[in-house]
Amino acid sequence: MTELLLKASDISYSSNTGNILESVSFELHRGQITTIIGPNGAGKSTLTNIVNGLIQPQSGTIERVDNLRIGYLPQKVYVNTLMPLSVERLLQLTRKVSETEVDQALAQTEVTYLKHRQVQSLSEGELKRVLLARTTLGNPDLIVLDEPTAGVDVTGEVKMYELIGEFRNRLDCAVLMVSHDLHLVMSKTDQVLCLNRHLCCSGLPESVSQHPEYLALFGNQAAESLAIYTHHHDHVHDVAGHHHD
Amino acid sequence: MIELLDDFVVRSVIAGLLMVSIAAPMGCLMVWQRLAFLSDTLGHAAVLGVGLGIWLQVHPMIGVLVIILLIVISLSRITSFNNALSETALAVTSHTGLAAGLILLGTMPGQSVNLESILFGDLLATTKTDLAMIFGTVVILLFLLAQHWRSFVAVSVSREIAQAEGIEARKVQFLMYLMIALLVAVMMKVMGVLLIAAVLVIPTSSARLVSRSPEQMVLISALFGVLSLGGGMLSSFHFDWQTGPAIVLSASFLLLGTLVVRRLVRGVG
Repeated sequence: MTELLLKASDISYSSNTGNILESVSFELHRGQITTIIGPNGAGKSTLTNIVNGLIQPQSGTIERVDNLRIGYLPQKVYVNTLMPLSVERLLQLTRKVSETEVDQALAQTEVTYLKHRQVQSLSEGELKRVLLARTTLGNPDLIVLDEPTAGVDVTGEVKMYELIGEFRNRLDCAVLMVSHDLHLVMSKTDQVLCLNRHLCCSGLPESVSQHPEYLALFGNQAAESLAIYTHHHDHVHDVAGHHHD
Repeated sequence: MIELLDDFVVRSVIAGLLMVSIAAPMGCLMVWQRLAFLSDTLGHAAVLGVGLGIWLQVHPMIGVLVIILLIVISLSRITSFNNALSETALAVTSHTGLAAGLILLGTMPGQSVNLESILFGDLLATTKTDLAMIFGTVVILLFLLAQHWRSFVAVSVSREIAQAEGIEARKVQFLMYLMIALLVAVMMKVMGVLLIAAVLVIPTSSARLVSRSPEQMVLISALFGVLSLGGGMLSSFHFDWQTGPAIVLSASFLLLGTLVVRRLVRGVG
């Protein structure tokens, strides 16, 4: 087994806004992509917030390796219009990184042309790609992505999941992501956590997709997604949505 | 060299320059974090601190610091991770502090409290002791700013990202509240409780219009601050206006000028 980076044991959390998790346990290993799936209100973002240390579970334990370096893409970033901020500076937000590293990071998600733009002037999709590029800076051990493909079109999504796989290979890091794209996720993931306040089932995608609780939650969608999965395109789109024949 | 400080004009110019040099980075941080209202609240509630200080026969600034620290600590307790300070809590604290302070000062027997200088400050009355206190505070604040600048900016952009990536957002935030408290306590003497927020916010707003990075915004704020100080002091001497309000008004004119110039430049380009 590869290096254990984070181990959550029996964690529970409840808040007055209705976020509830009941005794969830899982492990994150270096080099593995873990995907959290589950319906709205299942506690997916709550779980990533606990992993990130934004909130503490009320019971259970979270063990992290010392100095675990995380790169984080939140589900939504509220752009602060009161602060002038270039894309280049945004990439250096929490860590000092070299100009070369900034260029390389932006090139990965094909947004080099945005380097000197002000963050306020970006579209939602552009900002998403910039923030995705940002998570790879500073040699992270773990990249946490909360719905990385929200606001990206379907073919861009395929490309984006491939990219996330490349990040994992190149940086030899763990990836934890929240996703709604069942069909795409299943083919790109090493471990699936199927969450509905408690952990319904977890493990390899193949075993999860046959689990009765998974089918109860996603039965219809799972059948539909199979159709999408087997459908082939005669051209490809890059992440930016431009297509090449 | 040191005898220059015997001149009240020299003392007030130095105090003013120290003040704008610290108001630029602190003001930017407060604007970015939507804390501009906090300085206003602390300023108003500081009147209660002055009252208590005089009543307990300690230095008014100690009374102010104690009251402000109490407010900052209790406000940060009731603030959850993702919410900015509640406007209602700030407004209630602000006016309660001001009202209680005014009553306390009014009932003070045999004390001639100069309410006007508390409310509007008196830059020209800066003593050598005041100057030493301002200098000490500015040095401490600049040191803390230099040391934690990246964290302060990161927390302003996204508390979530900062926290996830190893910055203790809560601690950083709390440190910032303490720094604001210290700043308000020391600026009060010079600018008066009603005008502190103006000095922190107006030059910063002008700078926002013409800057392209957080650091550039701080430098341009400082420049606008110095210009406002100069304009305010000159007009104060020339027209015999009160210094504090004159400084604020020059800052407002600069903001207006910046807006107009920017519009003209954009119109041409």
